[in-house]
Amino acid sequence: MAAAVAGAVPVPVPVPVSVPGAEAAGPGEEAAGAGPPGPARLARLPLARVKALVKADPDVSLASQEAVFVLARATELFVETIAKDAYVYAQQGKRKTLQRKDLDNAIEAIDEFAFLEGTLD
Amino acid sequence: MAERPEDLNLPNAVITRIIKEALPDGVNISKEARSAISRAASVFVLYATSCANNFAMKGKRKTLNASDVLSAMEEMEFQRFVAPLKESLEAYRREQKGKKEARKDKDKKADSEEQDKSREEENDDDDERMEEEEQNDEEEVDN
Repeated sequence: MAAAVAGAVPVPVPVPVSVPGAEAAGPGEEAAGAGPPGPARLARLPLARVKALVKADPDVSLASQEAVFVLARATELFVETIAKDAYVYAQQGKRKTLQRKDLDNAIEAIDEFAFLEGTLD
Repeated sequence: MAERPEDLNLPNAVITRIIKEALPDGVNISKEARSAISRAASVFVLYATSCANNFAMKGKRKTLNASDVLSAMEEMEFQRFVAPLKESLEAYRREQKGKKEARKDKDKKADSEEQDKSREEENDDDDERMEEEEQNDEEEVDN
């Protein structure tokens, strides 16, 4: 029962290259692939990229592999959360396309997203 | 490889997939919104790392560990993430343990049945071994 949205603009998505076991920190999209659904899934975000962000903090000297994994999963949950919260505003505007302003509204309205203010421009 | 934090982003394909699965069927996302969410995700990692690091320092540890990250989530008012994260961590630990034991077995067998096994599983083995050597329990984050 998939609804066909007329005039929908498909988001151009590069074909993910799946390299088994590769931890290359190079450029390019690393698709971690679709794993089992639910909270116990393994990370979709490539740990190498998350690790690169962790390393960017000059105060951090070492991070365990587990810490990087939990950060990756937390980030995925964060993305789900903010997308859903922003969507509420799209619904209010009777739109089926999530827009930047929906995100801005969510950030302004929701306390947990206060840390994002001023960072997305 | 000096990269500014603002330059580090997460793969668009994965971010997009996560967003799409969180939203109902038929809902789309503009390029600007997706890009903003991706940037927000990077900021989230940086902020969470900094928070987690405070907990590590409080514990007089130099290594950020999983529980520091969980504490950071609570600090950042994302308590609802803690339970699912703990479940994921359990699954991850089981998987890592499985990998190690599988490798121990492979190593034992490799001694006696060198050629057949190692040729067949060459790819997996080598990649896994590289991964293991690169990432032990404590990982060196060079600064």
